[in-house]
Formats: sequence, structure tokens, C-alpha cells
Amino acid sequence: MKEGRLRTYEPGDNVQRFLDLLGRRITRSLAVSMTACVHCGLCAESCHYFLARPDDPTMAPVWKADQIRKIFKKYIDWTGRVAPWWVKAGSLRDDEDLNRLKNIVFGSCSACRRCTYNCPMGVDTGLLVRFTRGLLTELGIVPEGVFNVSRDQWETGNQMAVTEQDYLETLEWMRDEVRTELGTASVDIPVDKPDCEVLYTINPREIKFDPRSIAHAAKVFHAAGESWTLPKWGWDQTNFGLFSGDDKLGAYVARNVYEAAERLRAKRIVISECGHGYRSTRWEGYNWADYDQKLPTESVVVTLKRYLGEGRIAVDPSRNPDAVTFHDSCNIARSGDLVEEPRWVLRRVCTDFREMFPNRRENFCCTGGGGLLSMAEYRPLRLEVAKIKAEQLRATGAKLVCTMCHNCVDGLNDVIKHYKLPMRVVQVLELVSNALVVPGRNETKKTAR
Amino acid sequence: MSDLLKFVENEVQLAALAFLAVVYAVRLIWIFRFRSRKERTFAAGSEAGGVGYSLMNVAMPWAMESTRKRPGFYAQFVVFHLGVVAAITATFIIPYAPEIFRIRAVAIAFQALLAAAFLVGLLRLVRRLANPVLRLISSADDYLSLTLMIMFFGAGVLAVPNDYRRAEWPLLLFFGLTAFFLIYVPFSKICHYLYYPFTRFYLGRSMGHRGAFPRGRKAGTQAPGPVQENRG
Repeated sequence: MKEGRLRTYEPGDNVQRFLDLLGRRITRSLAVSMTACVHCGLCAESCHYFLARPDDPTMAPVWKADQIRKIFKKYIDWTGRVAPWWVKAGSLRDDEDLNRLKNIVFGSCSACRRCTYNCPMGVDTGLLVRFTRGLLTELGIVPEGVFNVSRDQWETGNQMAVTEQDYLETLEWMRDEVRTELGTASVDIPVDKPDCEVLYTINPREIKFDPRSIAHAAKVFHAAGESWTLPKWGWDQTNFGLFSGDDKLGAYVARNVYEAAERLRAKRIVISECGHGYRSTRWEGYNWADYDQKLPTESVVVTLKRYLGEGRIAVDPSRNPDAVTFHDSCNIARSGDLVEEPRWVLRRVCTDFREMFPNRRENFCCTGGGGLLSMAEYRPLRLEVAKIKAEQLRATGAKLVCTMCHNCVDGLNDVIKHYKLPMRVVQVLELVSNALVVPGRNETKKTAR
Repeated sequence: MSDLLKFVENEVQLAALAFLAVVYAVRLIWIFRFRSRKERTFAAGSEAGGVGYSLMNVAMPWAMESTRKRPGFYAQFVVFHLGVVAAITATFIIPYAPEIFRIRAVAIAFQALLAAAFLVGLLRLVRRLANPVLRLISSADDYLSLTLMIMFFGAGVLAVPNDYRRAEWPLLLFFGLTAFFLIYVPFSKICHYLYYPFTRFYLGRSMGHRGAFPRGRKAGTQAPGPVQENRG
């Protein structure tokens, strides 16, 4: 545990602390997003909260952003300081106001950035929400779930408090599973092996709840003849700093991964299928940690695409005959760069791939983004507004919804269960693993090209 | 032309314009005082391409779902802002190149544009009053700015013929409003055009760096597009 890094709530002059932090932390890009909004209201219908509750104007992104914007106007922007009533600048009075702000930025927004993409002015409301979350987290005014997960990640280096023993035993278990499945002892799940091509980093959920995904990865790496390893420390590529807005936690967790790669002299960091983990490790983490990127850092889906493109693995798409649709994770599609890559792979490993609409960077959130899965108090609202996602999923007629994000797996599972949809969630690795033709197993080989 | 009208068309405008320039300069200094973060990741796309795309977004209604689904709203936006350009241009043409408005077709074109912008302004005001979201978020500045713009367009329709021999009051009204605008704008939402390049630049640079901008094709289409290589 990094001493003093995780703040607990303390009664006192939290309003002043909040304002001090606001003044200290605000960057230029945030400041212009605070000032540039023209209140056109076009963002409203881009938000699944508002679409699901069209009669509630407080669900509109502009109203949510205005709750921090009015504080900025009152204390930092000159027009609001001179004539607050004229521009609807507003004071913060007490902890009750801060708590109300917490419920807005944590409870009624998944920070999916769909509104950002639909703002004519380019106002980044998603970023404003994350920024506000960060100020509140610094004061300990956070949902209990966010606090607990953040604490675990600070204390244990991973967000689910997986012990080293559990971690290593699960990897051994999965190694044995793959050995049995492939009928060879040459398959390994190496840990802390130096000088590998690939340092593979995972989501603790894979250890705790879905270790098959590690087995799928091991199987593919083996088939591709990859030199790879997992690190003993710094294996968690997820990052609750992204959700809580805590850049210090974000830096700490991301640095663990980068330093593991450096320590083991890996040539490439590969991130398992996780939306916020990908965004944090590939994009935000280097900036949070003030750590210049030295190694290529990529999603395992990009790795799979490379293997398929180079003919390092072969697949038989007929092994995935069910209709598959793809759900774009917000953190990967809107805040990252991967949109076509998963589709490229899916078209090669499935016989019936179909799009959902809207898709790619206009897709709707799984409704579990922004850390909302860990915030039980906001679950009823989350499931209510999930009807937008449910309608989108139902319209595809697909039996499988594929996503390259563990968080989305849980979010979509909640939607499917709540709205009784006849479908199941899968991930890209699982479908590739299903379709994988492993040499020496007396299988019909079909090329991937 | 009376001395008062000459004074309002020239000295008053120049003084107000100088004031606007000074306040904008201060505003820009204020913006640049906020720190900017250094990007430490390998790029997956082009920052310059992203910035260019982001800045041009205003002219690409197909690029955003919010404008793609509301062509009427986008058309209103275009008319309204062309009206602003026309009105500002008229404030220079009338005192410094009055012969242009003696060409009847030009004057009528300006009047038509300003009249259309006037009507759009009224529609926008109705929308702001009728839409619960807009009603909830709107400030006094939102209402006054829009009302002033509507008045500005209306005054522009009357002023463009520049017929001061018949009556000077339309010109006095138009230039009086212009001077008031030049002083009020830096403190109002109307100065959003000053921020637009900043918000669009930062969003475009970030998304361009990540390869998310420019968006290669319309979302929602099924045709396979070029696969973007991750150069990370």
C-alpha cells in the first residue's frame, strides 16, 4: 500500500479542499470544455440515460456537466465571479452539495463519451465527469464500491485482491487444462520469463471468475509459436484510476505493468481483452505516470489479427456457426483506436457475423462502464437505462454478442438477464480459440487469409 | 448624413472593436495560463489529421449522429451563422464601401439572409423556451444573447439599404446594437467562436493521435473498410 495515497472521508472544510483541487488540477483542455458549451442541448439524445428517460432533463449530459461547470464559473471563470446569476454560476455550500455531485458524476454517467462525439463544439463531457470524480475521490467522497476496489488495487497491485498464490495456482491449473486439451506437455503458461517477445497482462477477473480466457490465450500463443510470459508482479492491466478519476492510482497501476515489461526485457506489451484496461495501459497510463512509452503496447485482438494475417495460426470458422454480433467497448472504440480489428478477426473465425446498429464509435455503452458495475447503489437506474442497449441487442437476432472487454461481458450479462434476451456473451479470444486448428491434432486446416 | 450617425458608424465602432480585441487578448492569456499535458504514447494516427478533421467538423453534418439525424437543425445552424457573417460584413460595408449595397441584388441577398437568420433566431428562442432540457440549463445570458442576435438580424434587414436620407434610425439602431455587441460579446456565450478552435484542437489532437479521428467512414455502414494498423 502506498501510504497516504487513498483518502478516506474526513469531515471538515471539504468545499475549500475541493475548490483548491479544482484550481490546481484543471488543464487547458478541461478549462475550454468548461467554457465552450453553448447550451444547444444536442448532446441529450446521444446519451442512453436521457434516451431511456426522455422526460427527465437531469439525465442530459449538458445538465450533468453544468453541475461542475457552474462551480468552475463561480470560482475560476471571470464572468461567473463578477455576475454569477447572469451565467448560472453556482456556489458549493457543504458536503451535502459534494455528495449530490457524487451521485451525478458517478451514478448517472458511464463516462462513455458518446456525448463528446456528438457535441458540435467539441466539449469533452466524458472527461469533465472523470475530472470531477477525481476531485471527489481525493476527498473520499466516492461510492463504497469504488473506494473498496481502489483500496484493493493500491494494496495488492490488482483490483480484485488476488493473492500471488491464487494467481500462480490458477495459471498452473489453466496450463494443465490446455495440456490435456491439446494432448501435449509442451504447452506452458510462463511466469516471469525474461527476454520474451510478449509480456501478457490480464484482468484479475480472469483469475477469479473466467480463467478459461487465459487458457484460450495460452492455446493461441502456443499455436502461433509465440515467446511469451506473464509477470509475477504488474500483471493487472485494469486500472480503477480511470473510473475514479484518480490519476495517482492510474499512474501506480500502469507503471507496475511498464516496469514489469522493462524488468523482464519483453519486446511488446499485450493487453488481454479489457476496454478500460486497454485505454488505461495503452493510452492514459503513460501520461498519468509521466512515463515515456518505450515498447509497443497492444490489445490481444491486434495480436490475433497479426497471427491470422501472417498465417501463424489457422482457423476453421465453421466451428463458430451461431450468429455473432459485436459490441464495441466505449473505452476501445471512442477513447481508443480499435474498431475494425475485431471485425477483421471475427469475419475470419465465424460464419455469421452481423453488425448491431449503431456501431463502432456510435455504439451505446454496455451500461456497466465507468466503474458502474462496482456501484451497487446505482444499479436500479443502470438497469432501467439499459433498455436502450437491450433493444439494440435484440434487433440483431444474434445468439452471441462478442465484446473485447471483460467489463462489458458483465455489463451485457446483466442486460441480457434483466431483459431476458436469448443470447450469450463471448469474447474474441474464445471464438478464435474455438476455431483454432492446432497442427498435429489431426484436424482439417483452413488458412486464415 | 448626420454627425451622430457618422460618429456611431465610425468612432464608436472602432472604440468598441478595440475594446473587444483587448478583452479577447486577456481571455486568450487566461486560457494559456492553464497547463497543458505532454503526450507520452506512440501515435496510432495523425494528430494533424485529427485536428484538421475536428476543426472541419462544423462543415460535416454527416460526421455526427446529432446533426446527421437532424438535417433541419443543421440547416438552421448554417442559416443562423451565415446571418451573423452577413450582419458583421454589413457593419463594414455600410461605412467603408457603401457602393456595394447600391447594387440592388447584393442588398436584397443580404436582407434575405438576415431575414432568414431572424426567423431561425425566433425558432431557436421558441425551442429554448419549450424544450425542458434547454429551459433547465439556460441562463439569463443564453436568453439575452439570443434575443440580441434576433434584434441584430432584424435591425440589419432595415439597415442594409443604407438609405439614411429617408431615415437614419435603422442605421443608428443597427450600429448602436453592433457597438453594444462588441462590448458585451466577450462576456457572453456569443464568444464561443473564440473557444471553438481550442476545444476542437484538443479533441482532434487527442483523437487524431489515437487514430480515432478522422473517422474513415460513416458509422453504421456494413461495408468493410480499411483496417487501421495499430502502430503502437
